[in-house]
Amino acid sequence: MRKRPTLPTLNAKEDMESGFTWEVRANSRHYQKQKQKKSFLCFRWGRYSDNVVRSHKYSPLTFLPLTLFEQFQRAANLYFLLMMVLQCIPAISSIPWYITIIPLLTVLTVRGLKDLVTDMARRRSDSEINSRPCDVLISQSFSAKQWKDLCVGDVLRIHKDQVIPADVLLLCSSEPHSLCYVETADIDGETNLKYRQALNTTHDELTSQPSEEALRAFDGVVLCEEPNNRLYNFRGQLHWRGETFILDNEHVLLRGTVLRNTTFAYGLTIYAGADTKILRNCGKLRVKRTQLERVFNKVVIGIVLSVLLIALFLAIGCGVFSSQVIRQREVLSAVAVFGTPAYTGFLIYWGYIILLSPAMPIALYITFEVIHTIHSKFIGWDLEMYWQQADAPAQARNTSLSEELGQVGYLLSDKTGTLTQNRLLFRQCCIAGEIYGDASVIAEEVKPMDLSWNPFSCGGLYMSAPSLLERLRGQQCPISRQFFTALALCHTVMAQWKEDSPVYQATSPDEEALVGAARELGWVFLSRTRDFIVVSELGVSHQYQLLALVDFTSKRRCMSVLVREPDGGIKLYCKGADTVILERLQKDCPNQERTERALELFAEACLRTLCVAVRSVPEALWEQWSKTLTQAAAMATSERDIVLEKLYDEMERELLLLGVTAIEDRLQEGVPETIALLKQAGIKVWVLTGDKKETAVNIGYSCRLLDPETRLLDWQELRQILQSPDPQVSFAKAGCTELWAENKTISRAKTSVVLTGSELAEFDQRPEWGSSFMSLAEQCQSVLCCRVTPSQKAEIVTLVRKYTSSITMSIGDGANDVNMIKTAHVGVGLAGVEGGQAVQNADFAVSQFRFLQRLLLVHGRWSYSRISLFLCYFLFKTCGFALVHIWFAFFNGFSTQSLYETWFIALYTVLYSASPIMCIAIFEQDVSAESSLKSPELFKCGLKPKLSIHVKLVLHLLYAVYMSLVLFFIPFGVFYNTAYDFQTMAVTVSMAATFTVTIEILMLTKYWTKFNIAAVIVSVIMFFICTRITHSSRLFEKSPVDYYFIGASDNAFANPVVWLTAFLTTWTAFLPSFTVHALNVILSVHDKHKVHSSSSQPVELRSRFRRGTSLRRSSYAISQGAGPGRLINSATSIRRKELSQDQKVTTSNTITDIKL
Amino acid sequence: MVKEKKKSPDRPDNTAFTQQRLPAWQPILSAGIVIPGFVLIGLAFIGIGVGLFITSRDIQVLEMDYTGTEASSDCNKCAITNTKNCMCSLDFNISTLFKGPVFFYYGLTNYFQNHRRYGVSRDDSQLYGDLTNFKDPSTDCKPYRVDSNGKPIVPCGAVANSMFNDTFKLYQNVNGQRNLVPFDGKGIAWWTDYNVKFRNPSVEPLKNAFNDTVKPLFWTRAVYELDFSDPSNNGFLNQDFLVWMRRAALPNFRKLYRRITEGDYKEGLPAGNYTLEISYNYPVLRFDGRKKVVFSNVSWMGGKNDFLGIAYLVIGSLCVVMSMVMLIVYAKFKFPEDN
Repeated sequence: MRKRPTLPTLNAKEDMESGFTWEVRANSRHYQKQKQKKSFLCFRWGRYSDNVVRSHKYSPLTFLPLTLFEQFQRAANLYFLLMMVLQCIPAISSIPWYITIIPLLTVLTVRGLKDLVTDMARRRSDSEINSRPCDVLISQSFSAKQWKDLCVGDVLRIHKDQVIPADVLLLCSSEPHSLCYVETADIDGETNLKYRQALNTTHDELTSQPSEEALRAFDGVVLCEEPNNRLYNFRGQLHWRGETFILDNEHVLLRGTVLRNTTFAYGLTIYAGADTKILRNCGKLRVKRTQLERVFNKVVIGIVLSVLLIALFLAIGCGVFSSQVIRQREVLSAVAVFGTPAYTGFLIYWGYIILLSPAMPIALYITFEVIHTIHSKFIGWDLEMYWQQADAPAQARNTSLSEELGQVGYLLSDKTGTLTQNRLLFRQCCIAGEIYGDASVIAEEVKPMDLSWNPFSCGGLYMSAPSLLERLRGQQCPISRQFFTALALCHTVMAQWKEDSPVYQATSPDEEALVGAARELGWVFLSRTRDFIVVSELGVSHQYQLLALVDFTSKRRCMSVLVREPDGGIKLYCKGADTVILERLQKDCPNQERTERALELFAEACLRTLCVAVRSVPEALWEQWSKTLTQAAAMATSERDIVLEKLYDEMERELLLLGVTAIEDRLQEGVPETIALLKQAGIKVWVLTGDKKETAVNIGYSCRLLDPETRLLDWQELRQILQSPDPQVSFAKAGCTELWAENKTISRAKTSVVLTGSELAEFDQRPEWGSSFMSLAEQCQSVLCCRVTPSQKAEIVTLVRKYTSSITMSIGDGANDVNMIKTAHVGVGLAGVEGGQAVQNADFAVSQFRFLQRLLLVHGRWSYSRISLFLCYFLFKTCGFALVHIWFAFFNGFSTQSLYETWFIALYTVLYSASPIMCIAIFEQDVSAESSLKSPELFKCGLKPKLSIHVKLVLHLLYAVYMSLVLFFIPFGVFYNTAYDFQTMAVTVSMAATFTVTIEILMLTKYWTKFNIAAVIVSVIMFFICTRITHSSRLFEKSPVDYYFIGASDNAFANPVVWLTAFLTTWTAFLPSFTVHALNVILSVHDKHKVHSSSSQPVELRSRFRRGTSLRRSSYAISQGAGPGRLINSATSIRRKELSQDQKVTTSNTITDIKL
Repeated sequence: MVKEKKKSPDRPDNTAFTQQRLPAWQPILSAGIVIPGFVLIGLAFIGIGVGLFITSRDIQVLEMDYTGTEASSDCNKCAITNTKNCMCSLDFNISTLFKGPVFFYYGLTNYFQNHRRYGVSRDDSQLYGDLTNFKDPSTDCKPYRVDSNGKPIVPCGAVANSMFNDTFKLYQNVNGQRNLVPFDGKGIAWWTDYNVKFRNPSVEPLKNAFNDTVKPLFWTRAVYELDFSDPSNNGFLNQDFLVWMRRAALPNFRKLYRRITEGDYKEGLPAGNYTLEISYNYPVLRFDGRKKVVFSNVSWMGGKNDFLGIAYLVIGSLCVVMSMVMLIVYAKFKFPEDN
């Protein structure tokens, strides 16, 4: 047994002050395990989570109680249970008990099974994640374990392209200086590589000897902050060998990121499982209920309460009635009275609750669920939303939200992978005023140039410019040659060699595209060392001495390299945003005007542009400059930055403009069209991205989210507006200051807000800004939020949810969107290439952004209109039929006598009136799919309906009351004081009720498929058949008590008065509805005409652009932190193997030389 | 084709149903259909209403109250004294021929035969002739299930117990002579009731089936001796019993007592003076009820029913009026005044 060295004693006070209360001891599994979080039933103890993801809810033991508990939390289920219990009590049961129990059991079973299936799926995906492999250092060596075995304090070995299983402190890696690269696409949506570096100490100590042994002996203690959800922050200390080292974000590899370009890395687990930053960002799973369901639930509660109230009145009536009857308690008493009137009233109260309960039948819930499921199936079945390439149909994962799609008011979209494909293509360039390439042609359709002469060419250039090639190869145009030299030299890309060709690793996808384009055209960046950059120019290898590299910052917005050319001259190559470069040009720079025109053209085509310039630096200037630079480098930090800036500024001057590059950030197919359509439909589209502001704005323009003349309101302006006493007025003013703003409405509509994550954080401190911000945002065209973390995305969704009544929809593709997808009313996941975590958590999954058109405008709209029709009609038919008992009560001594046969009550909602409304809820199309897409204005009806669903439901309830009055009082008038018996009247009223709801459905159905016709016919026939069957003598002989209506229908159907009464009742009950429909028909002639004429206009996809300087958008996607230039300058990242590769390159170059 | 399927197994089926492209008939209503349709329906209703009204008008009805609350009434003595088999009579005059066949009803008001408690208080199995229910009647029959000695009541329950027990005899007074008007009591109950729903136990003689049971408390005679004149009209199959057991729909109701179809009165009741002899047994004053007798002849629509015809007329006219209003609205809307 190896004796553990004593841990460095730490001053507890110091820890408290620094706030580092999270202690992790390396290589001490036993110690950490003791403190692990454990739970038994509802007791939990321990601090450190294990690395197991548990998103499932049930275990075999807890399933039944839990699911029953959950289901009876729904008020409706509890209500039905109560009804059932009441019906089992003989003293009050006015309807047999089996009428409720069978549907209730069905509902419970179906729901339970559904929950079980989804939970099983969750369990499966959990166990898939939990059993991913990882190498853990246990006792003496690394052994292959699974993610779930990992615990805090373990030392891990992570291989290339492996997903990191927990939040890990990087100890050392296979690369020099223990550098390693990670891809954070799943966390912040950025696909460029980030580098992480281990502490020098750990690097030196752990790599000096065979690493396994050294790692085994590693006994550092990490003290850091408690687990939190801040992705870009980490603070902590490493105590090792008596020394303390400061740790920050750069030393940590987060769970969910992928190790790239690094053979392997060693790390110490700091946070595991639920403590990791990404899981802390995930947000809670919440049960989503649709707005319509909520409204509907309110109405249902209203109905239940009024039933209770009515029952109370009827019970009082009964008490009064029996107190009158009780006076003559003799054998003759027609009414058998038990007990006191009060007691009778009490029993009658419950009896009436049961009798009136069919007003809100359980079948409603079953049918509602079935319809939701079918609507979801329709989404999955839609061929127009099927993505052939990936063999992926759309998917409704949450089956109960389909009607919500028809009411979406805010669409909050992720950018990377959702709007864009995250593929940057070099599409055009302008060299010496000459434009090459044509961006109006779709990239895939560009005729590829013949690049067979270039051995390094490996495709991926979507530009056709034979004239450029000619010039380059013909050696005629020095400017164009210099242009590409600049592209090949001025960057921070690393080259990695794979099968005799360089593979570029860039921290920014833009750079990769530029260097790649230069490679295709013959200027191949081969390798870099600390001092040299090797470039093959048209097959001839040149070595440039790298004198200085001035990296990009978002402030400077340009980068430059200072190189000594092979011929000895010193050149400064510079690339950057047009505004920056154009300022620094030498006077009378040739081609400047033409280049500026090219810039405008490129901007118009929504391309990202960068200016490229060069400067010949005299030897003397360089010497003096470099001397000052070395001096400056030795200065104190704060001073140094200012001096350095000045120095850089001195050098980046007198530039000669070479040209402009134009890069296309490929949008997903059909994105601009979709956004245009959604905007027309009245949906606000917001973009929330973890990416940079420049990129986001650029994409905003290219996907037509922002018009060229849109005024961008940034945080400073917004804050002023929000701080002003009257935000609305100052907002209008802010718009009006612009010359182009001719009137307020236009200015408002054409304003967009651009915010960044750090600015959004200010909202936390000023919660009162929320509502005024939202009211401003409502008038804006769009809002772009950049550099936001996953939880901030969710906060924005919450903000929208809180201050508007609109339905929000989030769409995203990565793990960073999961939180926002969960938070929004409706979450849509793009079934992308990677991860699938967004899809896992989404309510709907589609493969392409453009499928949203159909999802919202067609499926959503249909679903909303179908379901509102369904709810209104269903309540109408059940209430109209059940409330009859109120009126009947006055004429039967408040005795809970039912006006119907019990079988009619049981079958009415199931057989006689269910299928036609089901057909409407499934097939109804007021407008075809094509016209829905053609006239997106129709969608607005879902956003701001003429009659809100509340009003509609209440109107239908009033109509139901009217129907019940008619249903009772017309037969009452006919049968009063006649020899007709009770059963005949019951059959008459049942018949009238069935006819009324059927004729109502005839009026409602606008789209008669064969199923609709069949359903209507079948349900009417069913009424007659079932009535005859339940009244038949055969059933009576089996059970006289249950089928005591024998012969009633035989007599009734043979009687003309019964038929005449039924027809009269039906027509009278239907009269108001018919009048409303007729008036609608008469009055809406012109409206219809309007819709038809407007729908003929096609959606304008390419808006006319106004030319102006405001158009220009030059941007460059750089990483959030400082670029890797520092590393290149300090040469820490240069591979040791680089030299040997250089040799390889030169040899291969000579071969190509010979070929040429 | 098969190959293609293999390539993309998740491809949704391209059917009219899954793609929501089912062929459908989409009728578009227009004012040109709606308004004339409305008028037509209104006219049809008016037509039916007129027919019903005329038919109903031609039906003769003679309704007389014999409760005896007024001192002038002959039945007043019976109403207040409540003696058994109290006889009273009701004189009336028919001025024109009362066309036959004449139906004779008794009517009760404020009598809640549709009260639930009352209605369920019966044992359908017992009435179906099930002897086990003779010994042990259903609990539904409470409180008329067993008598004070614990003997089962047959027929049990409140409905049977409260059977109407007034009897009537009608005489025509011709020249001081009283001619009995023959009543026909056959077939006044529903066919299904007589043949299916009610059944005497197959015990001969019938009386033996009722050993160890008692008659309903209110009854004077047991159910097997309701009709001495016709032995087959006894037990549960007694027509009056069947009529009573069919519950009325509303608190004011009539029940068919007899038909007048025989002898001299086949063509109806000729004009003249009549006397109705009533055996007054049924007490109704305690619940403020009234007792009535009704003579009526029938048409295809049954008895007299003015309400139905008038309701048809009202609704029909309402439709016509509304369609006129709609026409005006439509005209105003389509051709605005300023145009």
